Amino acid sequence: MTRLRVVSPAGATPGEVRPPAPRRGSLRRLRVGILDNSKPNADVLLERVAELLVERAGAGPVAVWRKPGASRPATVIDEVVAASDVVLTGSAD
Amino acid sequence: MLGTDAFASLAEAAAASLGMPHLQLVAVGHPLGGIDPKLARAKADDVVGRVIAALTEDPAPPSAAISPSVATRVDAPADIDAFQDFALAEGWSDGMPVLLPTEERVGRILGGLAARRAEVIAILAPRRGVATLEAIAANAALAGAVPDHLPVVVAAIRALADPRFNLNAIQTTTHPCTPLVIVNGPIAPRLGINGGANALGQGHRANAAIGRAVRLVLQNVGGARPGREDRATLGHPGKYSYCFAENEAESPWAPLHVERGFRADESCVTVCGSEAPHNVNDHGSATAEALVFAIAGTAATTGSNNIYLGGEPLVILGPEHAQTFATGAWSKADVKRAIWERARVRLDRFSPANRVRFARIDPARFEDRPLAEEVALCTCPEDLMVVVAGGPGKHSAIVPTFGATRSVTVAIND
Repeated sequence: MTRLRVVSPAGATPGEVRPPAPRRGSLRRLRVGILDNSKPNADVLLERVAELLVERAGAGPVAVWRKPGASRPATVIDEVVAASDVVLTGSAD
Repeated sequence: MLGTDAFASLAEAAAASLGMPHLQLVAVGHPLGGIDPKLARAKADDVVGRVIAALTEDPAPPSAAISPSVATRVDAPADIDAFQDFALAEGWSDGMPVLLPTEERVGRILGGLAARRAEVIAILAPRRGVATLEAIAANAALAGAVPDHLPVVVAAIRALADPRFNLNAIQTTTHPCTPLVIVNGPIAPRLGINGGANALGQGHRANAAIGRAVRLVLQNVGGARPGREDRATLGHPGKYSYCFAENEAESPWAPLHVERGFRADESCVTVCGSEAPHNVNDHGSATAEALVFAIAGTAATTGSNNIYLGGEPLVILGPEHAQTFATGAWSKADVKRAIWERARVRLDRFSPANRVRFARIDPARFEDRPLAEEVALCTCPEDLMVVVAGGPGKHSAIVPTFGATRSVTVAIND
């Protein structure tokens, strides 16, 4: 079949890959941040996971931030990062 | 990162676009919203082991398969029918037939801009795709646009990347919204962009191709693939193409772009994150005061995003309805205020659960208020947008928006 050279309509992406933060092996006494994306029940799920991280892995304390609405960008990311060793967040529904 | 399995593709794409393809998603079974909180807690119990592992064990390095770089030239079948299957498989198509974006056709659409083909117009969410002039022209070529359409498409893309538009949310939401492109100024009649009879319908190449090209850029460069990153529950037919011109010749008022500080002889596009239009049929009302009833009644609904998120619902007045207001010597601001004052929903029309939810999102309008009181369709009368479009007849339309978005107007200057 004859083929033609076409221009990809997808364009490029910046393509950068950031290295993951080093893991510490244990969650003991690590500060847990929750960034609630404010979708219904996200707070229930994330806060229960954090409660279990405290119970089962000795993590804590836990602090919670909430996006101003699911459809609005988070404005507190720097604050969450500064105050937490590990962060739990929700994506979409 | 936690989410539900039904939305895993979006979560993973979001992580990859931020340069973190290794970020682990711990997915629980969908749905999470709308279920008893006890069940939501049980889902947490099910996955906590995986959360602990994700936080304590080094993630596997990302595989080459998810590398985001994309070749800019691809060999494709020359046969127009075989090309349809190819375009669908590549994720380039909207399902309707597309034309081959050959180097020659894309070059023709770029025209005098060919030397600037690598110029970056915008970075588009959620993929953080780089919308160069060439990539935009390739989508215009797929969509069946002609060279003269390109500056309108480019201006629309520039407007969509304005942070006020909140493109990431518009692209990925479950809500049925898509950019509505409104064209003002002398370019509209010059390119044959229809603002007259059937302005929101079929039959005009410029409307069809410009709106479609914008949509394809969002899908292909922005990376909002239907059912994957584009999570629309239902979507709407305007997601194929959604573009019209304001009928400035038959409007009694200053057009939209002039209202926003541009000169009448400048050409502009305005993008709005819009639902499908809902018709307002009023053949009976002959005065401005009377006509407000049907328009406001159609606009005030309990299931609208605007009623609890704010934003700028759009009223498209047919020229005859616009003339009814003008005959009553109403300004556009008078029309907005009158609709806003009447387009209200009593608080007891919302379910108790929604009243609680909306009070959390917008306490000023929903918290601790008597149930006999009302809320308006949007936050203030100035947020209502009013334009004139269409042909003869006694119809207008209400176009609700996503809510957490602002429309953006830019000049067409390429």
